[in-house]
Amino acid sequence: MKNFNNIRFSIFHRWGILMLLFAIAMPNLNAQDEASTTEVVKPKPVKNTFGSTWVMNNQTVMVPIKGTLQFDIQHCFGTTNNGSKDLFGLFAPSNIRLGLGYTLINNLTLGLGITKERMQMDLNAKYSILKQTAGSMPLSLTYFGNIVIDTRAASNFRYTAHRFSYFNQLLIARKITNNFSAQVAPSFSWFNNIEGYVDSKGDIQKKMNNGHLAVSLLGRYKISANSAILVGYDQPLTSHPTNNPHPNICFGIETTTSAHAFQVFVGNYYGIVPQSNNMFNKNDYREGNFLIGFNITRLWNY
Amino acid sequence: MKSLIMVVFAGLIAFSFTTNLKDGGKPWPVPDAAKNKKNPVAKSAESVEAGKALWSKHCKACHGAKGLGDGSKAAQLETEPGNFTKADFQAQTDGAIFYKTSEGRDDMPSFKKKIADAEDIWNLVNYIRTLKK
Repeated sequence: MKNFNNIRFSIFHRWGILMLLFAIAMPNLNAQDEASTTEVVKPKPVKNTFGSTWVMNNQTVMVPIKGTLQFDIQHCFGTTNNGSKDLFGLFAPSNIRLGLGYTLINNLTLGLGITKERMQMDLNAKYSILKQTAGSMPLSLTYFGNIVIDTRAASNFRYTAHRFSYFNQLLIARKITNNFSAQVAPSFSWFNNIEGYVDSKGDIQKKMNNGHLAVSLLGRYKISANSAILVGYDQPLTSHPTNNPHPNICFGIETTTSAHAFQVFVGNYYGIVPQSNNMFNKNDYREGNFLIGFNITRLWNY
Repeated sequence: MKSLIMVVFAGLIAFSFTTNLKDGGKPWPVPDAAKNKKNPVAKSAESVEAGKALWSKHCKACHGAKGLGDGSKAAQLETEPGNFTKADFQAQTDGAIFYKTSEGRDDMPSFKKKIADAEDIWNLVNYIRTLKK
């Protein structure tokens, strides 16, 4: 807890984030919605800032329209380090998440999912607070939060409360041009149970803090009407006594159709559940620990 | 004689189906109120551009890139997707095209929920007008 604000943050990272924030906040008349027309008196919120509620390992500001049921299939393969031995991780043990979300009322989606790693079940909510609108609102702002229950056997936990972890994130994005959108998203993860160790004096010490701050940066550039290039970077901010997580660098491609979004990407994150990724990422990009992943999203409108 | 009548009758039925497909399927009646609805969105370059983006995402797979009805999914459809470049299709009012897009029928999905903003469907109508040859 003491070390929440002990931020290990290089000048490079600070400047990178500041520049991205500046670019997002900068007024830009080109960022009009695809659907804007000369006859509309009151400007409408910008549409399609991103092609999906996901960009690789992170949520986006997008909330589907009311009455939309969304089914997510997410997959992260093993790292590519073994080369052809396990077909660059494609035949290695993989992580999978299956999720469902429903937009109950305008701007609010509720969802649940199950992830193979530690059989984590997540209950999540996403609410669009502000929407970018030409002339009146330069940014879109969305809240995303979840409660995750580790559903493995009781023998793994001393108390039931140890099963729970939480994630809260503010997603701030701007459609800067018709083709380019960017997002900055600070987040806070919390695990009720953290591993400990016995020090030389015989006292029990925590290997990590329970809470963890991080920030995610995302960019999407459309290369055709339905395809886009995706880039992302996740920076841990909290410094832990041991086992500090590594940042995540990821890039991928996206194709959207009327009812689907497909994303294939390469990155360092394996966890899929956001707090697992932010808190426990052991894949170091400097050591080439990259893996292939994909997201498939199916939408139904009721 | 009885067999001959049966064969001719079956042939006529088969032919009528073929004719129907070639003609763009069964008639699709549109209520007068919908047919006479005025397009509130001017056919500006921005509107056509927005309609084109929606066409590419929602319509192209069945109706084809140029509206010829030759999209990648067209062969799997039980309903003829029609040829939007032809004069008979383009003779419909904007309101009729808006109605059909919104409501859907058979293989043609309803888009009033998927494209929730009516203005976007009018943009699509404006783009469909540019497909005329």
